[in-house]
Amino acid sequence: MDYAIQTAISALSFGSFYALGALGIGLLFSILRLINFAHGDFITVGGFALIVPSSAVVATLSIGGFHPALLAICIVALVVVLALISYFLVFQHVQNSSPATMMIVSFALGYTLQNVIIMIYGGRPKAVNIFSELTGRVQLSDGVSVQILQLVIIAVTWILLIALVLFLKRTRVGIQMRAAAEDFRMARMLGVNGKNVIALAFILSGGLAGIMSLLFVTQTGVLTFRMGVPIMLFFFIATVIGGMGSLVGAVVGGYAVGIVSVVLSAILPEQLRGFRDACVFILVIVVLLARPQGLVLTKAAKERV
Amino acid sequence: MLLNVDNITVHYSRLPALRGVSVTVDEGEIVCIVGPNGAGKSTTLLSISGVLNPTEGVITFDGMTINGMSPEAVARAGISQVPEGRHVFTSLNVEENLRIGTSIRKDRSEIEKDFKRVLDIFPVLAERRKQPAGKLSGGEQQMLVIGRALLTNPRIMTIDEPSLGLAPNLVDRVYETLLDLRRERGLTLLIVEQSSERALQAADRLYVLRSGEMQLEGNAADLRDGEKVRQAYFGFEEGAVHEDEVAF
Repeated sequence: MDYAIQTAISALSFGSFYALGALGIGLLFSILRLINFAHGDFITVGGFALIVPSSAVVATLSIGGFHPALLAICIVALVVVLALISYFLVFQHVQNSSPATMMIVSFALGYTLQNVIIMIYGGRPKAVNIFSELTGRVQLSDGVSVQILQLVIIAVTWILLIALVLFLKRTRVGIQMRAAAEDFRMARMLGVNGKNVIALAFILSGGLAGIMSLLFVTQTGVLTFRMGVPIMLFFFIATVIGGMGSLVGAVVGGYAVGIVSVVLSAILPEQLRGFRDACVFILVIVVLLARPQGLVLTKAAKERV
Repeated sequence: MLLNVDNITVHYSRLPALRGVSVTVDEGEIVCIVGPNGAGKSTTLLSISGVLNPTEGVITFDGMTINGMSPEAVARAGISQVPEGRHVFTSLNVEENLRIGTSIRKDRSEIEKDFKRVLDIFPVLAERRKQPAGKLSGGEQQMLVIGRALLTNPRIMTIDEPSLGLAPNLVDRVYETLLDLRRERGLTLLIVEQSSERALQAADRLYVLRSGEMQLEGNAADLRDGEKVRQAYFGFEEGAVHEDEVAF
């Protein structure tokens, strides 16, 4: 029983992390039809911003040494700026192209970011400790102890989800964003400023990426120039499973992938545990065979089918 | 002249969709463009809205050149379009749909008054204020998009096939509403229809468009017997065309 509770919390925490990532991708896709594969690299850049640029083996903290609140604000702001720059410098110029073109451009941007990181920081992994008090464990009851960070990830995710829902439902700009996500051209014909809405989507997506940098680096304690790539793959799968273009779908997909991963780790026999990701992907294929449109249907997807 | 579409040519990739088309609309007028499927009617309206960019020709609105402007800038200038297929935001509720129409406005107190006025004109929208717009019937959706366009406080409203997919009695209601709006608010209207009969009843002036070229232009009163319109519409002399086919 204790093991089950521990696994459940772990699953929720993993799911929350994937849900945040999928949401960052889903926000851009719903409005721009852009699958931003550079999203993972935004997270990487947020991580590297914590340390002093140098190729030395031992990392020296720069922003990472700030007061925790200031640290968080700086990293999130930095990744938001990065996301905005990539919109104005890169994506704006291809936003009328096909989704495939935009996706390839996002790959190019991602590789560029990775190589810029290699140029500045070198290619070797670096150890970084931030928020180290969060990596400790807390005793919930006699047999159950969980990492504080896991609870923090769950809490942060739900606070962000609630904030995002309130923003989209209650504010004028939020309603405009939802309208633009459903029918971009019609929203513009009614005077909704298309450029502002897209820029806002990049800001939100970049903000999520910044927060994930903090969570991810706290969790792993290591920076590598490719660290955003594998998690990006899972975020992407989560958005596909949930249903492209639906934000609810992104969250559902994120939780589905996260929970399944953790549960598989817990129940797979010892010899198969190394193939956990393969098992996850097999389930993904099964889900997509049964529901090619994803778990949550959107109007946009309905039209395309 | 409020709106002047002067000799525009529009291409879809290489193919010309409109060749040298001109349309003018005066303040307070109801002007109809009719023509068969694929004639270029929607293309004309989308060019006015800034969605499509003419390769030749000029579109001016109240003296200002608007071709090349973005759709949101055109909306800001005072042209509101109700496009073909209505395009309600199905996942937004009725009220939110209407609020999108006020995106370009800052005059809060006027917005609230106009909002109430639109709900007065379309009581059914007031009843269903909190329902998702996707759940409305076709007629209600048509009311919603007209109300939404009204809330941009336009000087001219362009409507693409307001009768599409509606039962005849609903079409009558839509047209009654449009005529009322002109009478009460002095709204200028540019309407596109496939059915020339309906257009002849409502319009002050009529254009007939076929294969991307303007075939005929005239006062609706002069064209009411329908013979000239029919010839322009079908592109051949009187013959095998049956009376009630003209309606479609």
